[in-house]
Amino acid sequence: MSQLQQYAILFGLTVGTLGLVLSLYALARAIGKTRKEPGKDVPATAGQLSRDPVWVRYHARYTTFALLFLAFDMEMAFMYPWAVVYKEEGLVALLDMGVFLAILFLGLLYGWSQSALKRQ
Amino acid sequence: MSSFVLIASLIFATYGVAVIEEWVSTNRLRLAGPLISTLRLLGQENILPRKSDRLFFEVGPVLLLIAALLSLAVIPLAPGLIVTDLATGALFFNAALAYVLVAMIMAGWGPDGAYGMIGGWRFLGQLIAYAMLVVMPITTVAMRAESLSTIDIVNSQEMLWNIAYQPLGFLLFLFAGMAMAFVPPFDLPVASGELAGGVEAEYTGVRLIIFRLGRMVLILSVSSAIVVFYLGGWLGPFGPDWSWSMIKILGVAALMLSGGRMLPRIREATLLAWSWKLGIPLALANIFLVGVLVLVVPL
Repeated sequence: MSQLQQYAILFGLTVGTLGLVLSLYALARAIGKTRKEPGKDVPATAGQLSRDPVWVRYHARYTTFALLFLAFDMEMAFMYPWAVVYKEEGLVALLDMGVFLAILFLGLLYGWSQSALKRQ
Repeated sequence: MSSFVLIASLIFATYGVAVIEEWVSTNRLRLAGPLISTLRLLGQENILPRKSDRLFFEVGPVLLLIAALLSLAVIPLAPGLIVTDLATGALFFNAALAYVLVAMIMAGWGPDGAYGMIGGWRFLGQLIAYAMLVVMPITTVAMRAESLSTIDIVNSQEMLWNIAYQPLGFLLFLFAGMAMAFVPPFDLPVASGELAGGVEAEYTGVRLIIFRLGRMVLILSVSSAIVVFYLGGWLGPFGPDWSWSMIKILGVAALMLSGGRMLPRIREATLLAWSWKLGIPLALANIFLVGVLVLVVPL
């Protein structure tokens, strides 16, 4: 099977799932209507309208983790092609990536020492 | 013919996971349980919360289902039983499951309810904790197989399963996978005891069916990834290939769902701290160890 065909199958899977969902929605609609009553559509906050607005800015307390995550995530982009040719390249590949990972690990340790790894 | 068998076995496995999920959470084994609750939810009314972000509210559960199904598409049940044998299968698995986070944030943001919102943002923190521990162990699996194709990965375990070859990676991937599928004790976004269902709280009726179905497929996909990457996929001593896949997948799903319930729910900050202070150093050590092992004892 060619690459293009494989991605066509995946696209077909997506479209098929959408079709399944839509037909389920249609089935549920066909079963019958429900009575409209006030207060039914209030989000779950103990039966009252929520007191404070919900769509506001939040203090993300894991910002420093997120920054470290970005660095590591970029590194993973290099790791996958490296992993595939690892056995062929042998010791050279181990040393190359070893240096790279050691630097990243030192970065993690430095972040830890600067108390990046705790809830802000 | 084989595509029919594939679809039937995937539906069977999803149903099996749903039965196991109900069994461990209610302590009653009801084979018809998921079917009955689906029919019940089909008759329940579909409430659209007032002031909701309609697009996000509708897309959330559907995206969860599509992401989980796409990740399942690269998982082989037997040599011929796979939707697409992508050359970059293991990478595609990650790429598809990255959308779980997007779906959860959309579903949490959409209804403008506090519980859903908190659940969605918590899951973002959870992603930062588990994501590296999912991708790093997969790298070492690919190092041994010299390929990202899932079929090659299973074939590379013919001599020795990866659970014995790289046990550290297995443990990390197991826990990270559990966090990715948000099964207890990592069920922060849907924490039923404290958030009234969290992200699921505002979903009723047929939308909830899609949401739950998506979650079941997600659990199935994570447990089958564990089987393919670490437990030798379809490899077994006798009998047909697909039966071994099925037994292992349902076994891992049962282990994940029942084992996690013994532990108290972990806080997002604690999870982040454990994952970055212990998990990532262990995962880096695992890459180094397997790197040496692959060169010295190439099994």
